Amino acid sequence: MTRPSAGLAAAVPSAPSPGARVTVRVVDDVAERLLVRRSIVHPIEIARDRGAMVTVWRRGGVGYCATADLTDAGLRDAAEVADRWAVILERHGVFDGLDLRELPDATPLPAAPGATGEPMPSRAELLGLLRVESEAMCADPRIVSWAARLQVTRREQSLLVDGVVRSQSTQRFVEPNLEATAADGPVSQTRSLGGQYRGFCRQGGFEVIRASGLVGGGARVTREALELLAAPECPSGPTDLLLMPDQMMLQIHESIGHPLELDRILGDERNFAGGSFVTLDMFGRYAYGSPLLDVSFDPGVPGELAGYAVDDDGEAARKVWLIREGILQRPLGGALSRARAAARGVPLEGTANARAVGWHRPPIDRMANLNVEPGDTPFDAMVASVERGVLMRTNVSWSIDDARNKFQFGCEWGQLIVDGRLGAVVRNPGYRGVSATFWRSLAAVGDAASVEVLGTPYCGKGEPGQVVRVGHASPPCLFRGVDVFGGG
Amino acid sequence: MRALFDALADVLAERARPGELLAATLEAEGSEFVRFNGARLRQAGRVERATARLRLVDGERQAFFALTLPGLAAGRDAVAVAIDPALATLREAVAGASPDPLLDVLRDAVVSDDDGAHGRFDRAAFVDAVAHAAGGADLVGFCAAGPIVRGFCSSAGSRQWFRRDRVAFDWSIHLPVDAAAGGARKAVKASWSGESLDTAAIASAIAASRADAAVMARPVVRLSPGEYRALLAPRAFADLVEMLSWGGFSARAMRAGQSPLARLARGEATLSPSFDVAEDLDAGFAPAFQSDGHPRPRRVALIERGRHAASLVSPRTAREFGLASNGASESEAPQSLRVACGQLPRHEALARLGDGIVVSNLWYLNWSDRAAGRVTGMTRFACLRIEGGEPVAPIEAMRFDDSIYRLFGDALEALGDTTARLPAEDTYDARAVGGTEAPSALLSALRFTL
Repeated sequence: MTRPSAGLAAAVPSAPSPGARVTVRVVDDVAERLLVRRSIVHPIEIARDRGAMVTVWRRGGVGYCATADLTDAGLRDAAEVADRWAVILERHGVFDGLDLRELPDATPLPAAPGATGEPMPSRAELLGLLRVESEAMCADPRIVSWAARLQVTRREQSLLVDGVVRSQSTQRFVEPNLEATAADGPVSQTRSLGGQYRGFCRQGGFEVIRASGLVGGGARVTREALELLAAPECPSGPTDLLLMPDQMMLQIHESIGHPLELDRILGDERNFAGGSFVTLDMFGRYAYGSPLLDVSFDPGVPGELAGYAVDDDGEAARKVWLIREGILQRPLGGALSRARAAARGVPLEGTANARAVGWHRPPIDRMANLNVEPGDTPFDAMVASVERGVLMRTNVSWSIDDARNKFQFGCEWGQLIVDGRLGAVVRNPGYRGVSATFWRSLAAVGDAASVEVLGTPYCGKGEPGQVVRVGHASPPCLFRGVDVFGGG
Repeated sequence: MRALFDALADVLAERARPGELLAATLEAEGSEFVRFNGARLRQAGRVERATARLRLVDGERQAFFALTLPGLAAGRDAVAVAIDPALATLREAVAGASPDPLLDVLRDAVVSDDDGAHGRFDRAAFVDAVAHAAGGADLVGFCAAGPIVRGFCSSAGSRQWFRRDRVAFDWSIHLPVDAAAGGARKAVKASWSGESLDTAAIASAIAASRADAAVMARPVVRLSPGEYRALLAPRAFADLVEMLSWGGFSARAMRAGQSPLARLARGEATLSPSFDVAEDLDAGFAPAFQSDGHPRPRRVALIERGRHAASLVSPRTAREFGLASNGASESEAPQSLRVACGQLPRHEALARLGDGIVVSNLWYLNWSDRAAGRVTGMTRFACLRIEGGEPVAPIEAMRFDDSIYRLFGDALEALGDTTARLPAEDTYDARAVGGTEAPSALLSALRFTL
């Protein structure tokens, strides 16, 4: 047997019950966090989280048990607990008409190429970079808080099906950021490199730090925080809205990604994360947006945060279209959710998106790399087409209803557009809308040159809760007649 | 898990070299997780996980290493085998680290033991009870059961232990969507928790929630944006107050210009004189030691009679800004909030509301302008239109966008005369400890925008 990359030393347990199947997903995460805040180097934080998710698949039920005891006895005990749950699910589960033993595929797949990029400099050199930017951020007495930070996580993962290594992978996630807060009396404004919640995050190595703009970014972030401090509030009322990629990231995530998750559509999340305004009968015919809207699930974009070759249930991943020329094509649905939908008489094509945050949570339907495909409008032409509008960049606030319809989002940076030209900076820009109609107001999509590859490490969902990494690549997009507002 | 904690403490004491201080914060759980959809099981399993956040202090230098321990039953040898490579990494990191000017470490030997009552959970009995009590109802729910542990130990001799066993079942009963109201969803939310499984109590609570769902059968009404009188149930009011945990109570956030309570702290604004909030360990939700082992005071008043009383100050923030620490954890977020009750009897609440909205739950709160204390969010689950003190109809989910200075200030007409006990239900990464006690709140106006 090929030895799993995540270092499983023990034998994979056999099925506790005749005919059952056993999958073991071993995850080994090693993370390092560096922080320089207010010019003080904070202690280094290292983390190693290694364990195994053992899943037993019976005809009508599936159960799991997660353990960090990777000895023979530990894995065997976990398989027995998982089997006991599977037995209970056979009696009370939602899997009528399905034989769940058919889902795991034991065919070995070639090892995925490592997504670890260029070598990382030493810890001391990385801290040196952060210190330089930190010093650049405190040049004005109105800057009351500033921070430079970096988190790098290396993940090795293996999936074994009935003792056979189905897949293994090595990834490295890189999350750099800078933040500066300027304050003057009751007003304060924060500007960041990729959003205050690490919107610039990719897989790879040092090239990610280089691409992030961290080097030399301290002065820019500080200058923009001070500009915002002096700026007027964003005006209110319906107007044209030009969203830059670091806000499109959030717009895609909340009002396309979550509503298209098949488990939400099947009702699994109604007690917590919520359902969806999308229903099973909409696929193939529903006008989700204007004909300019093309949305893909693309696990193969180089460097994008949630790229992978195989999902956590072992399904090989490939690029597919979720929305084509505005028409809804397919959900974000992994093999188990698709089987459940088919059992209800709704066969759907889906995506390889059964994902878990780590070894200690079972896979559920998640976004991975969910992207708005480029159009053909250069950025300057989009600006030129606006008589009165607001450009917004860098998400800072997000809220949406449990059916993923009524939303309100806020940004760090706003800029008026008047008679086809970018004008004054405005602070606390926000906007509201309804997903079911918002995307139909899409009036222009930026060209390929304007696409940025971004994402978030903080997509929350599930019971028990799981925060996973997702990627979102997008060009700037122009929307007509959106309700915008400022702060205060 | 006590044996694992003792093994960890023993290994740390054994491995510390002269001049070093080794400490560890333990987070551990043995959890059964059960999900229902349509009163049937969607997903169920067990998670056993113990994480030791190791800390090595040598002179003025320090570093941290959070390590998953090899199973809840790991003995001393297995713990040592896991920890030794981490210690070697820590020593290398500390050797290359700069002196930490904010270093503050507990060098005393503090011993405490809060073991709580040990509970039990029977998988099949629980599932059978829920399936039977739900009957034909569309019940969607989640149960997290088993012990949660927080511990702190150090080579200086500290051993502090906190364990709570909980069966926390949280569910909603869903009615068919209202096609006449654009597919509006209708559901009621309920929860039950205890130290041990009590199938009769759970069945009774499910029956009560099914009865509560009856009023939701009426057609949904769609409200226009604007101001509405509102009665917030304790869970909804607690959600609003807990928003202040997002940088509000933190001394560090206050000095960073990022606290929504800055105007209150500067004395430029006041809240209702009936609004009292405290971090109060006597609520029993949280351990009496913070994340680095420092003992915590039993009570820290945060807002008293509508005025700022104190911020939560961690030892590092105390050093950074020359303040006195009040035992806050590094996050400076409260873990055991108590909001004082008022004088509004429950049976009079709807009559006092008159015409308005009852809000059972809020959802997806976020700051729309954090520095100004402006908050937005949605209504969710059983929110009802009330006329003349009587429920009329469920409402479509509405967005509000309002100021905490108004909601906890002039708009706060009355607080309920009892508080509800609301343990934290968060299971991100690990099951949370903590919780909030809060009353209901009667508001003269809540601003709906969408």
